[in-house]
Amino acid sequence: MRLDRTLVVAKKTLRSLRHDRRTVAFVVLVPLLMIALFGYTFGGELKDVKVSIVDLDQGVLGNSLGKAISNDLANSSTLMIMEHYGPGQANASKADAAIGQVKDGKVWAAVVFEEGFSASVLEAIFNMTHGLPVEQAPIKVYLDSSNPNIAQAVSQEVQAAMQRVLVNQYHLVSPIVLDSEQVYGKGAEFIDFFAPGVMGLAAMMVTFMLSIVSFVHERSSFTLERVLTSPISEGEFVAGYALAFGLVGLAQSLVILTTAVLLFDVRIVGSPILVLLVIFLLAVGMQGLGFLLSSRAKSEFQAIQFLPLVLFPSILLAGVFWPLEAVPALLRPISNFIPLTYAVDACRSIMIRGWGIEKVWPSMLILTLFAAAMLALSAYGLKKRG
Amino acid sequence: MDDDGPVIETKGLRKEFPGLVAVDSLDLRVARGTLYGLIGPNGSGKTTAIKVIVGLMRASAGEARVLGERVPLRTNRHRLGYMPQDIAIYPDLTVRENLEFFAGLYSIPKPRIGSRTEEVLKVVDLLDRKDGLVSQLSGGMRHRVSLACALVHDPEVLFLDEPTVGIDPELRVGFWRFFQDLKSKGKTIVLTTHYMDEAVRCDVVGMMRGGRLIAEGTPSSLMTQTGRGNLEDAFLEFAGRVVA
Repeated sequence: MRLDRTLVVAKKTLRSLRHDRRTVAFVVLVPLLMIALFGYTFGGELKDVKVSIVDLDQGVLGNSLGKAISNDLANSSTLMIMEHYGPGQANASKADAAIGQVKDGKVWAAVVFEEGFSASVLEAIFNMTHGLPVEQAPIKVYLDSSNPNIAQAVSQEVQAAMQRVLVNQYHLVSPIVLDSEQVYGKGAEFIDFFAPGVMGLAAMMVTFMLSIVSFVHERSSFTLERVLTSPISEGEFVAGYALAFGLVGLAQSLVILTTAVLLFDVRIVGSPILVLLVIFLLAVGMQGLGFLLSSRAKSEFQAIQFLPLVLFPSILLAGVFWPLEAVPALLRPISNFIPLTYAVDACRSIMIRGWGIEKVWPSMLILTLFAAAMLALSAYGLKKRG
Repeated sequence: MDDDGPVIETKGLRKEFPGLVAVDSLDLRVARGTLYGLIGPNGSGKTTAIKVIVGLMRASAGEARVLGERVPLRTNRHRLGYMPQDIAIYPDLTVRENLEFFAGLYSIPKPRIGSRTEEVLKVVDLLDRKDGLVSQLSGGMRHRVSLACALVHDPEVLFLDEPTVGIDPELRVGFWRFFQDLKSKGKTIVLTTHYMDEAVRCDVVGMMRGGRLIAEGTPSSLMTQTGRGNLEDAFLEFAGRVVA
């Protein structure tokens, strides 16, 4: 194996890219667009969810819990109160109207406090303190659950408002308190979780695509044949391409890391160099896979058809946007065969947990083995002449 | 290797594909400094024979030797140049970058690459286009770049598969003059063509049909043997004898 010939192939590949401005734009802008879009859409918190409140609660001795909870909800930045019918204005027809608004899609939820709400709560508190059977007082929430995220946010807001009012007015605190200490990821936001995932995904997608298209072109234009009559070995040729696309993957990761840090304040607790190394290994492996699959495609058009086959399982099952624990048990074994799973896990551990190579080496070893296997198979595939 | 021995030699070379024998019992001996033309119609096995000899395909039977080494070559690959039938160069590189790449594959020392690139570009008359992208060149110019890439490492043995297909007559004449020039410098050239009229410029012509070598000799001897005035008629005569 001679390094000079490997470098010649790498140089040629990078030069080809340099002359193709659209591809350069693709390589740089795709990851930029991905991190920016994902960052702004996924990273944002829910705000101004439209809700209507119908408060029929009569209160007890001039003290209305319904009113207190309604006021608390009105201060929430998550919710935007569209209609608020307080006692006096509210009646059964207003409740029906609010439910109608949910049905018409004008609001996401209608929160209804029944007439005897405060009385029921006080009775429950009395019974609780006197060891009598307790009947819980309901707050009726009519939810449009067509968007589970929004539905969950509304329920949580109502729940939280309820707790706050009970604490403030009746000093009712739970005897149990959750005392959690964040071992890792103190102050981490959702974008900190998925930035490493998007980085791996972008590197994987672009290197795989460039590789498969480049090799189909090498074959269909017979440049590969010509190259193989020269003294270069199959291994040197494949390694040259791997080096070039590995560097492309690195460049992309730098774009993503910089954007994530500057735009979204993503923190990198561990070593950025180690993160880049992980991405390099992933890019080399995906380049090899692209090479192998390219031998099954007769044209660039056929080659592109492999993209969704490789991309979708990686997006869905590699833990990019949701944890592997959320992947159904039946599909989880597939996750173990997706290289991106290990790259994302390693990058996340380095960036959020601050882990070093002494802890992420198993993932890196798997990525190295994957890359080595892909390169060896590619070189073997070239050697096997018809 | 013995300098007097054949530079290229095949014995009983055979290449089969499912349902097709592309090359059958091919025995070739090409001496150093020979301009050898493999001629025959499309599908006669010329390209397959070349591909087996340069090591791009594995022979189904028989053997081939280049510069005394059995194919596929290990040690002598740098002494061989190959120009495929298709213009196999990189369209998204400049002319110079293509040449630098192929020179690099043959481990030509860096300082030498520049001068060698200039030399071959002068030969194919493309010095003024060296920094242009190949994709922006005309078909004839690309042919010239392709030839230059096969020559950049100054090979001893050249395999040129249909080097004159699709190029204008003026350029074709230039190419033949250049082949003669290379030959006079001791290079061995094997080329394929289906233009019988130009094969007359070769030292030795091998006529292929249905994967077999049906006749071999100097153009004049082949015409004499058949009593025909041109190679095309001579070919048809030999082909007729085979069928008969």
